[in-house]
Amino acid sequence: MPAETNQTLVRAQDLRKRYGDFEAVRGVDFEIQRGEAFGFLGANGAGKSTTMRMIGCVSEPTGGEIEVFGLDPRRDGTAIRGRLGVVPQDNTLDNMLTVFENLTVYAGYFGIKRREAKARAAELLEFVQLSGRSDDKVDDLSGGMQRRLAIARSLINRPDLVLLDEPTTGLDPQARHLVWERLFQLKQQGVSILLTTHYMDEAEQLCDRLVVMDEGRIIAAGSPRELIDTYVTKEVVELRFNGLHTTDLAEIASGLGGVGAQIEPLPDRILVYTDDGDDTSAALEVRDVRPSSVLARRATLEDVFLRLTGRALAEDEA
Amino acid sequence: MSATAADRAAVASARPAEAPLGYAAGAWRAFNLQLTLYRHVWHGTVFTSVVLPILYMISIGIGVGSYIDSSSTGGITYAEFIAPGLVCSVAVMMLGNDMTYPVFGGYRDWGGGYLAQRSTPLRPVDILNGHLLYAMVFRPMTNCTVVAIVLALFGVYSSAWAALAVPAAVLVSAALAPWLFFWCSSLKNDAMLNAVFRFAIMPITLFSGVFFPAEQMPGFLQPLVWASPLWHGTELARAATIGIAPALPPALHVAYLVALCVVGWLLARRAVARRLNF
Repeated sequence: MPAETNQTLVRAQDLRKRYGDFEAVRGVDFEIQRGEAFGFLGANGAGKSTTMRMIGCVSEPTGGEIEVFGLDPRRDGTAIRGRLGVVPQDNTLDNMLTVFENLTVYAGYFGIKRREAKARAAELLEFVQLSGRSDDKVDDLSGGMQRRLAIARSLINRPDLVLLDEPTTGLDPQARHLVWERLFQLKQQGVSILLTTHYMDEAEQLCDRLVVMDEGRIIAAGSPRELIDTYVTKEVVELRFNGLHTTDLAEIASGLGGVGAQIEPLPDRILVYTDDGDDTSAALEVRDVRPSSVLARRATLEDVFLRLTGRALAEDEA
Repeated sequence: MSATAADRAAVASARPAEAPLGYAAGAWRAFNLQLTLYRHVWHGTVFTSVVLPILYMISIGIGVGSYIDSSSTGGITYAEFIAPGLVCSVAVMMLGNDMTYPVFGGYRDWGGGYLAQRSTPLRPVDILNGHLLYAMVFRPMTNCTVVAIVLALFGVYSSAWAALAVPAAVLVSAALAPWLFFWCSSLKNDAMLNAVFRFAIMPITLFSGVFFPAEQMPGFLQPLVWASPLWHGTELARAATIGIAPALPPALHVAYLVALCVVGWLLARRAVARRLNF
């Protein structure tokens, strides 16, 4: 395997993970560069967390190649984990310990001396706005605070790459925004970030580059803008018809051929992908389509995601 | 957190290659968690190491002992007879706490434990060793020493050799702890933890010749007695405290306990590596 280049932190080739008969990750390729915020986007069960665990050297791949910092996780797990910061999905904080001890004990796992650990812990609690809760037990913290503590803990070894598994799942909007702010600050400090999420707005806000995963495979890759440009049109017109049944919507949709670039009937609305929302709205009026509301908006990652994985989901449910 | 991007990049690329993590250092780092937890709960252990032995000595040593003719215990008082075994059985009771729920919960999100440690440079074997260092060395070394001192107040020792009851207790812990770790690593639900108490901790405490000479057990139960680490430890401790010759040469007792420890550790090491590869 080639040594770590200056830029590439993680390189995966045809990476696979099989559990018995089930292949959770089915041959993925990606590279993560230094200083980048990289996202794995996908529904639950898409293989994001499994991929993350293989990068974090806590799950041995069953096929393909992976190197992290130019090292082989099968052989150099200890050295690699020493340079990673990990925020697991379920925090794994020590409930019996105080907030401060959670940081200092964890620092000890990295061989950080006691005095240095205390200094770093104080500094990090400041960073995640938990200085006042230093002596509290973890159980007394809200979900958002626990998540911030887990983020602080992941930074105790001054990692080269921070892995965050669904950093804001289950948090209320304020808590989410506070986490996002902190992650954004880290990004500005040049910390490389790797995150999984099923929130499109999160991916759009935080990620320089991302891959969309579905059923263990990468089905699209690029910057949020590139993905939007590649997979959907610039704008989307959303048509809602109050009182109409899903089957009615499908019928209306089938009669809209030629309007916009593509029509997508959803259970509650029809999406018309178009490069010019005003033109499309006008065209709809000409056809005498009378929705109860029309919303023309810029296309988002969510549209990309629905476009790429929506059909698969619908097929599964059928 | 005021480092600039350039600073960080410089730090990252200038980071020296770390020396490989040795087993001793790994165990020590993981042990720190148990030690920090212990600081929060140590006062709870006063019951096991101070109050419990006093209760045992008063109720059984003195109470039951008043009915027992010293000729059946080799010419010593009954309190003297049970004291060395008590030191060792406290070690077994402590394992019932330290090597059951904490191991089972360590693999789950019951407050960090092994899952958090796994994301760090520590290897599964370090996580195992750290917990063992606590449960089979630190706890018996400290708590059984306190027990031994408390028992001294009852005047049950005849020489300073009695201090060897503590290393005997450590050996009992060492023989048992890796097996409990191995067992609790494979449990699917916490209801099964009760089985560990019922089929390991309880019978070992009762049928290891602590409260009566093991040879008074029915013949068909004798093999169980010989298998019990607590019996071997009690024989050693009794030899040290009151000079009763053990059933086997001391070296054989020690060898048996060490062998149990080594086999148990090998099994536990395999179990922890499997459980912590996700």
